[in-house]
Amino acid sequence: MTLALDKIHLLGIVFSLVIIFAVFWLVRQRMIKEKYSLVWFLIGVFVLVMSAFEEPMDHVSSMIGVDYAPSALFAILIACAYLLLLNLSVTISDLKRHNKALTQELGLAMLRLEELEKKQDKAAK
Amino acid sequence: MQEERILIVIPAFNEQNNVLKVIKDVQQDVPGADILVINDCSLDNTSDKARLAEGVKVVDLPYNLGIGGAVQTGFRYARSQGYRTMVQIDADGQHIPREVRKLVQAMRENSSDMVIGSRFLDVRSYRATGPRRVGIALFSCMFRLLLGTKITDGTSGFRIYNRKSIELLAKYYPNDYPEPEAVVLLKKHGLRISEVGVEMRPREYGESSITPIKTPYYMAKVILAILFSCTRARS
Repeated sequence: MTLALDKIHLLGIVFSLVIIFAVFWLVRQRMIKEKYSLVWFLIGVFVLVMSAFEEPMDHVSSMIGVDYAPSALFAILIACAYLLLLNLSVTISDLKRHNKALTQELGLAMLRLEELEKKQDKAAK
Repeated sequence: MQEERILIVIPAFNEQNNVLKVIKDVQQDVPGADILVINDCSLDNTSDKARLAEGVKVVDLPYNLGIGGAVQTGFRYARSQGYRTMVQIDADGQHIPREVRKLVQAMRENSSDMVIGSRFLDVRSYRATGPRRVGIALFSCMFRLLLGTKITDGTSGFRIYNRKSIELLAKYYPNDYPEPEAVVLLKKHGLRISEVGVEMRPREYGESSITPIKTPYYMAKVILAILFSCTRARS
């Protein structure tokens, strides 16, 4: 395999390295959970390999019947982005559900506290 | 026979002009019932107004959950406090507390798990107009086709629930515009629903939550939700 070193490929390599390091840094800072970082690492490495070498991408694009290899790369990346976004929607819905339950229970707990304080005040008098 | 303990849940969002009157009416017309007001993070003085009434419990939600989340707070309370009967009344004054006894009676007579107070069954005090009328007719048609039940007023939030319904809805209750969806949910779980004709008032202050702009969204959301609930297996 030969290293591809024209401008667009270099850009791709730099971009994917930035992603990989950014994700690494975010996990280290505990800003992303390890669980969610995995898929980002995979995408980063994929973009890196596809940018650095021409053959794999040519191979893939001819396999799915696309003449221009970079378009195939775009298509694959957009598909990945879709799946990622879908996954985020699921995660957000989950969070929302938990959040709602917590809010309801908090409201009810505050009511109980209020009643208890009232009772105590009465007993103290 | 001793009357059962009834919990009256009043979800309220920005209803400072109506909520106290509704509470007073409930206390007068449904004596002995416990009242729980769910203040859904109102921007006005709804909470203070409700607290003016003696013996009323007020839950202040820390952020706005929407009508579904607010009502579900009531179900959770009813579940944990062991109530066997819960009535839901809007805080905007549309529902008339005097009519609660009709709901109670209907639930006993039909041995239903939920009874809906309907504007369109025998009492003709309320006339929905224009698109609203069409929407309500459409829901009614969907219920007949999908559930094989005759429900004339699936959007009415004037309802009574027994313990079985309370326990189910404390677990699952739809978020926004929950009423038609809840009908499907209960039916899907094999619970019995019936209706009784009640009188309703046009609201005194404030606006309906469903403005003309929101109507298409409302319709689409509810129809979609009903269809989804029908495909969902019992959980």
